[in-house]
Order: sequence, then C-alpha cells, then structure tokens
Amino acid sequence: MKLTNGSTTESLATINPAIIESDNDTDKGCFDEIYLEKKQQIEACLSEENVDIDKLREFAISPGGFVTDDLRQRAWPKMVGIDVENIPPKPDEAVLHGHRDYNQVVLDVNRSLKRFPPGMDDNIRLGLQDQLVDLIMRVLVRHDELHYYQGYHDICVTFLLVVGEDVAFALVDKLSMNHLRDFMDANMDRTKHILNYMYPLISRVNPKLTDFLERSEVGTIFSLSWLITWYGHVLPHLRDIVRCYDFFIACHPLMPIYLAAAIVLYREKEILENECDMCILHGLLSKIPDDLPYEQLIVRAGQLYKKFSPDEVAHDAILNFKKSQQLAKARIQNRQKYLKPVKKKRWFPLLYQDGSNIYLKITFWTLTAVISATVIAYLKPSDWDMNIAGWWT
Amino acid sequence: MTTEQKTEVRKPEKEFESSVTVLEKQTQRRIFKIIVIGDSNVGKTCLTYRFCCGKFPDKTEATIGVDFREKMVEVDSENLKLQLWDTAGQERFRKSMVQHYYRNVHAVVFVFDVTKMSSFENMPGWIEECDRHNLNKEIPRIFVGNKCDMTDKIAVNTNLAQKFADSHNMPLFETSAKDDEKANHVDAIFMTLAHKLKNSKPMMPLHLSQYGTGYQNNDIVNINDSPERRGLRRATQDADGNKDGNCAC
Ligand SMILES: Nc1nc2c(ncn2[C@@H]2O[C@H](COP(=O)(O)OP(=O)(O)OP(=O)(O)O)[C@@H](O)[C@H]2O)c(=O)[nH]1
Ligand SMILES: [Mg+2]
Repeated sequence: MKLTNGSTTESLATINPAIIESDNDTDKGCFDEIYLEKKQQIEACLSEENVDIDKLREFAISPGGFVTDDLRQRAWPKMVGIDVENIPPKPDEAVLHGHRDYNQVVLDVNRSLKRFPPGMDDNIRLGLQDQLVDLIMRVLVRHDELHYYQGYHDICVTFLLVVGEDVAFALVDKLSMNHLRDFMDANMDRTKHILNYMYPLISRVNPKLTDFLERSEVGTIFSLSWLITWYGHVLPHLRDIVRCYDFFIACHPLMPIYLAAAIVLYREKEILENECDMCILHGLLSKIPDDLPYEQLIVRAGQLYKKFSPDEVAHDAILNFKKSQQLAKARIQNRQKYLKPVKKKRWFPLLYQDGSNIYLKITFWTLTAVISATVIAYLKPSDWDMNIAGWWT
Repeated sequence: MTTEQKTEVRKPEKEFESSVTVLEKQTQRRIFKIIVIGDSNVGKTCLTYRFCCGKFPDKTEATIGVDFREKMVEVDSENLKLQLWDTAGQERFRKSMVQHYYRNVHAVVFVFDVTKMSSFENMPGWIEECDRHNLNKEIPRIFVGNKCDMTDKIAVNTNLAQKFADSHNMPLFETSAKDDEKANHVDAIFMTLAHKLKNSKPMMPLHLSQYGTGYQNNDIVNINDSPERRGLRRATQDADGNKDGNCAC
C-alpha cells in the first residue's frame, strides 16, 4: 500500500489543526490535563509488541476514550484488527464509478459540507470529499451484498477525518461486514428491527416515559439517523462523535441503540414537559442538544447493556416489530412483495466478542415472519471476512 | 379574546378546571400535516426550509429518515399551523420508513427536479406508493417542479409536466427554492395549499386524531378537525386521560 502509517499522519497534519481549532477550543487544555495519565497509559499499551486488545477496549470505553486523534489513528486499526501495511489498493476509477450506488453517494457527499471543520480551506475540503467518495465506493465494490444508505457517508467521513483515506477504507470495510452490516441490507427491515430495541430498554427503566412516548405515536424514527450514522449526523462536534466511535468500536454492535435509550431516558423531564404529540416529540427528540454529558451517557448505555442484554430485550423487540408489522399490514393493502418470503427462518443471533478471545453466544429460535436484526457475526479478525450468509440455515 | 371563542366544555374534574379555562382562552388553532415526497436531491429539504425559515439553506444535508419543520400561517384571518414532513428520497427509506408518516397527513406535495428527467419519470411510483397507503384520495395533492432557476438545464418541459399533473388531478407549480426572487412563489405554493386545507372538510376520524394536549404550551391547541366539532371535546378526553397519571401533559 502506498500510504504507510507515517505518511498518513503527515497528510492529516494538514487537516488536524483546523479540527483542533474549531472543535477543541477552550476546554482542550483542561481536557488534556484530565486525561494526561490516560494518554500515557494508552501510549504505553500501543507501544507494546503484542498490543493487549482487552486493555485497549477498556480505554475505548472508559471516560475520554482514546483521548486524542493521534491515539485513535493507532488504536482503531488495532481494535478492528486491520493490518495498515496491507491495505488493498484502490481499484480503477471506472470500477468505482460504475457501481449502482455511485450517483447517490456523490449526491450525498456533495451535501456533506457540514461535516467538515468550519474554516477548512475549500480546496482541502474538496479533496477530502473526493477521497470520501472513493473510500465509500471502495467498500461497496468489494462487497456486492452491501447496499449504500444515506447516512453511511456520515460514518465514513468521520473515519476519513481522523485516519485518512486508506486506513479509513480498511476500517470501514471491516466494520461494514460487522457492526454496520444490518444497516446495509437491500432493505431496512433489520434496521427497523434494531430501532425496536429502544422502547423495551426505556420501559425497563421508566415505564411512564415509555407510555408517554407510545401514546404520542412518535415511533422510533427520530433515532434512525443516530443509529445508522453512529451519531455522526447529529452531534455537532467531531470530538464528541469520535468519542462515541471509540465506544462503539469496542462494544457490541447494538450499543448505539443502548446509547439512544440512554439519551431518551436522560431527557425525560424535557420530554414530559411537552405535548404528547408525535410531531412535537419528533421535533424535540430528533435534535440532540449540544451540551449532553456524553461521558455520563456512555456509562449509562454500558450499564443498560449489562443489565438488559440484547438477548433479554430481543423478545420484546420482536413483539414490537410484529406489532408494527401488523399495524402496517392492516394499513397497507398491497404490501410490497419483499416482506412476503420471510417465513420460518432460524436465527443465529448475538455472536459477540469479549476482547480478543471469541466468546460466542448463540441463541437459536424460530421466528415466524420476523426478521431478526441480530444476525451479526462479531468474530475474531481472521474470521471477519466470513460471509454472514454462512450463519444462516 | 372574545367570548364567542369560548365553547361549552364538560368539566370532568375540578382539578382540570384551570387547564380547561386556559384552553378556552386559546385562539383555536388548526394544525395541518403535509408530507413532502420525491426522489433524492430534488430539493425537498430546500423547499421546506425556504418556506419555514425564509431562506435557501447554505448547507443542506441528505435527509435521513424524516425531518420535521413547521410554520404558522394566517389564512382569511384564521391562524393555522402547517407541519411539514420532509422525507428522505432514497428508495430504501421510502420503502420501509416513510410509511409511518403517510398516515394522518392532510396534504401531499410531490416534488421533482426540472433539470432531472428521472426524478419526473419516477413520479408515478411515488403516487402509487401514496395511494397504496390508503390515503384518502380527496386529500389535496400538488405537484412541484423545483430548480427552475437553472434555465439552461431544464430537462422536463412544462407541457409534459402539466399533462402529467392534469392526468392526476393535481395543480402544477414550477419554482425554485434557491432563487430569492422566487421566494414569494414558494410561499404562495404552500399558501395555496393552506387555503385549500382551511376550506376542506374534516377528514380525520376521531380515533386517529387523538393527541394529548399540553396546556403548558400555551399557544398550541392541537386540533385536526374543525374546532367547533372536535377540539374541545378532545381536550376534555385528554383531561380524562390525565387521571391515570401516566402523562405529564
Ligand atoms: N439550482 C438549484 N439548486 C437547488 C434548488 N433546490 C435545491 N437545490 C440543490 O439541490 C440539492 C438537493 O437539495 P435537497 O433539498 O437536499 O434535496 P432533497 O430532495 O431534500 O434530497 P434527499 O434529502 O436526499 O431526499 C442541494 O445541493 C441543493 O443546494 C433550486 O431551487 N435550485
Ligand atoms: Mg432532504
């Protein structure tokens, strides 16, 4: 591969000052101070010959995450298990541009201005936008089963800004086959199903709030962009976005929905002060306030995860899913064909990794006419390329 | 506030008296929901932003799922609230996410891009989709060709668009969200719709239009239907609903 670690860092030096300037402004000094010790520990951990992934995972989750983008550049590839020295080369332009999703990607990248640090030189930004298109297309052309969705570019731009095109490609390539896999089906059934985890989580902590939300019929779509962009589309500061990414990379693929539940729970008071009306609540909830205490919410999401495992919540989520399916069916006479063939399938959900050791937890159940979101193989790096379809009966 | 605006209300419980009184004092305000649909990149977000926020947004982003904007308008001295649902154009969203929002809408705005033939050619698909969701066929629908400012790039000529609009019984508007001189035009389009809605008959069955009503939010009374017939009655029901203490409204 052309770009070695060194040159990646170098190319980022032109990007990063702008990011730091606009994003870390006043509290940067204070931030560095608090995490000084942690930074040194991460540094030490990364300098070891055999990096302890478990330990990295702890750093990623605990307050501050990997603290700086320099450390992220080194830690993320380790966490995801990619070899930065062996990144597949970029295919020809014709291949990238010939993909079915190419036009949509270009439209979305052209409209991604907000995601670049304010004050960034236009030429640098335009260059990065070109790289963003390429990086997205590189992943898509490699995996025919992956379908681009609007919002995927919000994830990719985050990686691009932190680690540069090539490493970003390698990271996103792997994550797309794992954490992001469910969002990239031909349709959004599994994405919808993941959204259905949110209410069961909220209701276990706060039934009153759930009741209020359910009565308003606000649904879950206000959190769709949170989930499928890993909050990249909705958090105003890159520093908060990358902090969340540290967390998500280290955790179970369903963690973003646990964070969504934590955010909604945190905003209880504000929510209940409003009218019990779909539009009003959608408007309120879909905009995440600037000043959320992210570290606290991450801890909360982690607690929710420990207390109510995806296994436990799955049942309710499926019921919710069924309920919404039935409602939709009742409303819609000529239902689209794509929902029909899904009958009696067995599911092998919830394979998840605990550190570098594989800890496979496989729950089997038979579902009728329900699509499970949880068919996610979260395996050790060497197994990551395995086709998900292999896990289906 | 004139006394004419007060209406008889059944007062369920003493404790709700004050809320009801607050409600009685409100100007009764009807709310209309309008869904805006069409292919990705045709300018749905820009149009709704132009109307609700009065300018062309300098940085739009792809819409993920649905965004929501609203604006108060005055029609024949009645204040109406228009709620615009700005939906994502990418097919995958429309197929599985947007359906939820077809329900309970009072009007539909179909948008295409006059510089892009495919966005026009996809219109039958959008219309069919809309029909399929059991929308009341009486619901006002309008057909908007956007990006008229790009005069040298026009790909869909007016005749063609007009024919299509006629065949579907919709008025056609050609406009531009970007062109500041057309700003009034965009307003006029939505105002036309508001007029139509104001004069239209109630179309929601009561059970579909039940909302909680937050009296804290003093200037909002959520009424889908003609206020005389439904509004206060609903408010009373909501007050009843309060008794179980599940809701802070
Ligand atoms: N020239 C011109 N460009 C416009 C006009 N309206 C929108 N655009 C541009 O068209 C692009 C798409 O506009 P959006 O409003 O984001 O499109 P959308 O229909 O909301 O797209 P999705 O959210 O993907 O469904 C943006 O780059 C706008 O700047 C217009 O009236 N004239
Ligand atoms: Mg849009």
